[in-house]
Amino acid sequence: MFHWLEKNPFFFSVGVFVVIAFAGLIEILPNFAEASRPVVGLKPYSVLELAGKNIYMKDQCIACHSQLIRPFKAETDRYGQYSLSGEYAYDRPFLWGSKRTGPDLHRIGNYRTTDWHENHMWEPTSVVPGSIMPAYKHMFTNIADIETAYAEAVTVKNVFATPYGDEIKGTRAAWEAHKPAVLAEAAKIAADMKNKDVKDAVAAGNIPEVVALIAYLNRLK
Amino acid sequence: MNALMIKGLLFAAILIGATIYVVNSMNIDLSDPINMIAMIGAVAIAVLTVGVSIKYINQMKTDTAGGELADESWDGIGEYKNEVPSGWAYSWLGTAIWAMWYMISGYPVNAFSQIGQWNEEVKAYNTKFEEMHKTADAATLRQMGESIFLVQCAPCHGTTGDGLSGKAQDFTSRMTEAQVLAVIEKGSNQLGYPMGAMPPMMATGQDAKDIAKYIAGGMKGEQPASFAACASCHGADGKGMAGMSPNLTGYDETLVGNVVKNGKKGALGRMPAYHDRMTPVQVKALSAYIQTLKGE
Repeated sequence: MFHWLEKNPFFFSVGVFVVIAFAGLIEILPNFAEASRPVVGLKPYSVLELAGKNIYMKDQCIACHSQLIRPFKAETDRYGQYSLSGEYAYDRPFLWGSKRTGPDLHRIGNYRTTDWHENHMWEPTSVVPGSIMPAYKHMFTNIADIETAYAEAVTVKNVFATPYGDEIKGTRAAWEAHKPAVLAEAAKIAADMKNKDVKDAVAAGNIPEVVALIAYLNRLK
Repeated sequence: MNALMIKGLLFAAILIGATIYVVNSMNIDLSDPINMIAMIGAVAIAVLTVGVSIKYINQMKTDTAGGELADESWDGIGEYKNEVPSGWAYSWLGTAIWAMWYMISGYPVNAFSQIGQWNEEVKAYNTKFEEMHKTADAATLRQMGESIFLVQCAPCHGTTGDGLSGKAQDFTSRMTEAQVLAVIEKGSNQLGYPMGAMPPMMATGQDAKDIAKYIAGGMKGEQPASFAACASCHGADGKGMAGMSPNLTGYDETLVGNVVKNGKKGALGRMPAYHDRMTPVQVKALSAYIQTLKGE
């Protein structure tokens, strides 16, 4: 067999590749298969949360905030339990980030609340005196694009088999039927807020960006 | 002894001499075993290089090819059927055995775990921390409490604990009239006190307002008669009957501990539970610090 391989450089190369790839596979695959599954109890993002996630990406929160808590004591003391890869199973794309001008946000939902976020997005220095984060007042008037978020939910359900229920379907009627649930979720958040314009907008069936973003941030646990 | 050997020995001597010259001129301390080993290694390399070179140059001069030729002919260049040198064969076999060990009980399956390291580190730290602060004095606790407060609490309650103009609980006083009225109206069953739930509407109208004014005023002056409804659980002095129900006059350790453990949703907004972010000693320290924030 070796004789034959010596006379066939192409198959010799294939053989070398297989041997080296085997070493890589035995180190990478077992870990990868185990870690990429969703952690127990992980639910896919609701439509409102997806809309918030899109705003998070649109306004580039990731430029200053990470979403990955490393297993170091100093870090777990401040941000909570270290992150597991299975927690990002429904993040498309994941928003780990690589720069912490501001703090990590992966478990922000555990220790900040709707009313705090409202104060903070309106005027960060009103709650954190030394903060250099800019105010995001436009989020209180801009309306979140929940239809795109719904379309995204339909897409990930169809393409990646993300476990959404039957209410997420790619038809106009399904969206009309699901819309009240999204509005109800937004109304629950608006009830904890103080800004009159935001409350009025939600009551009128429009969801300001800040509500969707808070829904997303509260979900990060 | 031929001319090649003499040249070789001369070359080796020059290399060794140069090594010793460098060692001397750089004032290298040879009592340090690492330096000593490095120097011996340099000398050994010089001797081996020369020795091996001489051996093979001599061999090239005298050796002729021999043995049985293999069938292959690579563009006219033949190949003898030589046995694999035993050293190579054993090293190859050893590497193969090591590779099996490495795959099965070495790295990939029995891997180092960052999480395991974290677990050990945190466990060791917590044991040391609890041990060290088991009998912490008041000043240490207050100082620890301040650090915790600035990290965990200040983003909502403000660095001075004044609640940032009504965004969160103001620790310089106990409760405002509006807060007392809100609790009386809605009741409360959030903090897990042994006394259990406080039902809504224990007092109404002017009675409730009197109570609110009395509690917000720091329970000074004449007690309104309607306070009797409160006193049955919170005690006549409002101090919560030694931890049976919330203290209405100040932030004792039970109150701080229960709020940290359960979180709270009140007139000002919602506070999340923080119990998994603090150890019992830290909660004690935090309440010691909060008690020092009194306005007057």
